[in-house]
Amino acid sequence: MPPDDTDPIADDLGAPDASHAPDGDWPSMSDDVYVGGDAELASGDSYDPYPAAADTDDGAEQRELERRVDEGRTPVYPLDDRRRLPLPGLWRRWRAFAMRGRADMVDDFGRDPIATARWEWVLDFLYAKWFRTEVRGLEHVPAHGRAILIANHAGSLPYDSAMLLHAIRRDHPARRDVRPLVEDAVFHLPWLGPLMNRIGGVRACPENAERLLEKDELIAVFPEGVKGMSKLWRDRYRLQRFGRGGFVKLALKTGAPIIPVAVIGAEEALPLLGRVTWFAKSVGLPYVPVTPTFPWLGPAGLLPLPSKWKIAFGPPIDLAGEYGAAAAEDRLLVGRLAEQIRGQVQAMVDDLRR
Amino acid sequence: MATVSVGNARPRRAQGRVVAITGACTYLGTELIKRLEEDRRYAKVLVLDVKAPSILAAGATKARFFPIDLTQPTIDGEIAALLQREQVDTVVHGAFLSHPTHATEWAHEFEDVGTMHVMNACAAAGPARVVMVSTTMAYGAHPENPNFLDERAELRGHQDSRFINDKVRAEKQAARFAREHPHVQVATLRFAPILGPTINNLHTRFFSRVTAPVMAGHDPLMQFVHEQDAAWALKRAVDSDAVGPFNIVGKGVLPYTTVLALMGRVPVPLPFLLARSIAKALWATQIVSTAPSLLDYLLYVCVADGTRATRDLGFTARFSIKRTILDFVGASPEDGATDVASSFA
Repeated sequence: MPPDDTDPIADDLGAPDASHAPDGDWPSMSDDVYVGGDAELASGDSYDPYPAAADTDDGAEQRELERRVDEGRTPVYPLDDRRRLPLPGLWRRWRAFAMRGRADMVDDFGRDPIATARWEWVLDFLYAKWFRTEVRGLEHVPAHGRAILIANHAGSLPYDSAMLLHAIRRDHPARRDVRPLVEDAVFHLPWLGPLMNRIGGVRACPENAERLLEKDELIAVFPEGVKGMSKLWRDRYRLQRFGRGGFVKLALKTGAPIIPVAVIGAEEALPLLGRVTWFAKSVGLPYVPVTPTFPWLGPAGLLPLPSKWKIAFGPPIDLAGEYGAAAAEDRLLVGRLAEQIRGQVQAMVDDLRR
Repeated sequence: MATVSVGNARPRRAQGRVVAITGACTYLGTELIKRLEEDRRYAKVLVLDVKAPSILAAGATKARFFPIDLTQPTIDGEIAALLQREQVDTVVHGAFLSHPTHATEWAHEFEDVGTMHVMNACAAAGPARVVMVSTTMAYGAHPENPNFLDERAELRGHQDSRFINDKVRAEKQAARFAREHPHVQVATLRFAPILGPTINNLHTRFFSRVTAPVMAGHDPLMQFVHEQDAAWALKRAVDSDAVGPFNIVGKGVLPYTTVLALMGRVPVPLPFLLARSIAKALWATQIVSTAPSLLDYLLYVCVADGTRATRDLGFTARFSIKRTILDFVGASPEDGATDVASSFA
């Protein structure tokens, strides 16, 4: 779907030009209603999650609703005073302050365009300067249409999904937005989970993945899940079991091609020496990582070491074309295909390490 | 009680439909009466409630008030007799609490048992159509919820919230009624939290405070539906022939903290465990009437998918979530915040 030129939410409030954000210049500070800057969705997103209404509407219904809203606002039914805060001037300032760095409009899955833009430089610094990432085979990623990236996972924190996301946004000619599927253990982590969600992460579950693919999005799946992230240093670059083959079923059902991806460097960025599990469960974590720097240096120890990263994309695999959508019910086939793709990613990883 | 066979469901008569509404004093009930008054296809509106809504005094011509208290033990027979005598073809069951109460036993009698009475009466009188009001909160806020819950999702409610679980039980009764009486059209409307300039419910009270608790480090997506959209959806559901559950949702989602920022509320971050003990203490001392279990809705996403209502009911929300929020705090449209869905097209 093309990006909405007339973005009703931002436009109707006299939103400033999108090019002003996010430079820290908020021309709307004195505006009563318009808070939060522009809300421009990246291409490929649609704000309107609904298909066209069943009836052809000439706007009469809309006018009718507006009339009723106005009617409800007459002095006969005054607005409950508690809903307006006291000191309107202060309130207005507070709203403008509270809305800085966030958009008043997010897409269906919670990506916030302003927050994404705000974190862009951090990702770019990590990608280009800190990890000096090399990318190969980007031509295998389609410029449009649905596809599933299947990548290996490592490094205690999901730096690899952030780098994969940024690689395609920065270096792919179509600058596509990847929606990485984030495992529950990370998605429900305090602060990190909402942050991942604001910059494009989606909770990993079949419903979400199907919905994204139906909208012809590009999703990234890390089938190793937490097992992959919590790989110890001695097991580095040895891929774990690929979940239960959910991604194969997904590809068969939706007809999306699978693009194998190998990521090198995440293992060295936060080498995991050990996992502490005995008290982690009680605070809601899958494990507490022990790295050369964490927990010895406190939260700063979670910053990655400057390892050299390489990301390689393999040629797309069209499972649905080969086996048909009905094959999704064949558990044995699904398991075999998952294992086959795991072998392929493992071979790509080994190839990159040479 | 004599159960009339469902084949006797009365066809809609040419001279206009007759609608019976429970919970007429709620926002949705009053708005529905208003709209039925204006619609010439409807001949009569039976208002069943403990007290007459103010709209009756304001010159309603089709509406007639019948004092009915759903917590009375034999009320189902009375309702059935009334439905039969007045030849009612559509029953709208909207008698539900919009806010948790400390009188949990009474709430249970009113919502769960009250729904049983209404369904019993419908089974006896055999109206052609039953429309029930429910909420998407009945899905429950769970960590494993997908971003969009469709109508096939299980109604899991909440382990220790009677406010939610009574609604889940009411829905289950409606579903059983629909199974046992396949000739009666049963539609259940699961409304997302309703906000707007005039409605008063759990969410408007929660968001009317200057401060609002935020579970530290958690920021789930939220969804609201504008009160006018909700009323329009209910009217459409009464008009239409569609059956089954429908999510009635607004357009778009926003993170909870952005909702607070748009409203100008001051977020108070609290660790979840601390917040829960505070909420429990406040509930136990009856200082607030917001149940502690509702804090889960600030932790996990509970957003529903309205595609089915668009397809089968022809309902699409006209107000975006931002417009809904601004209407709620009274910041529009005099400030120029028009947000017209037709400009999408």
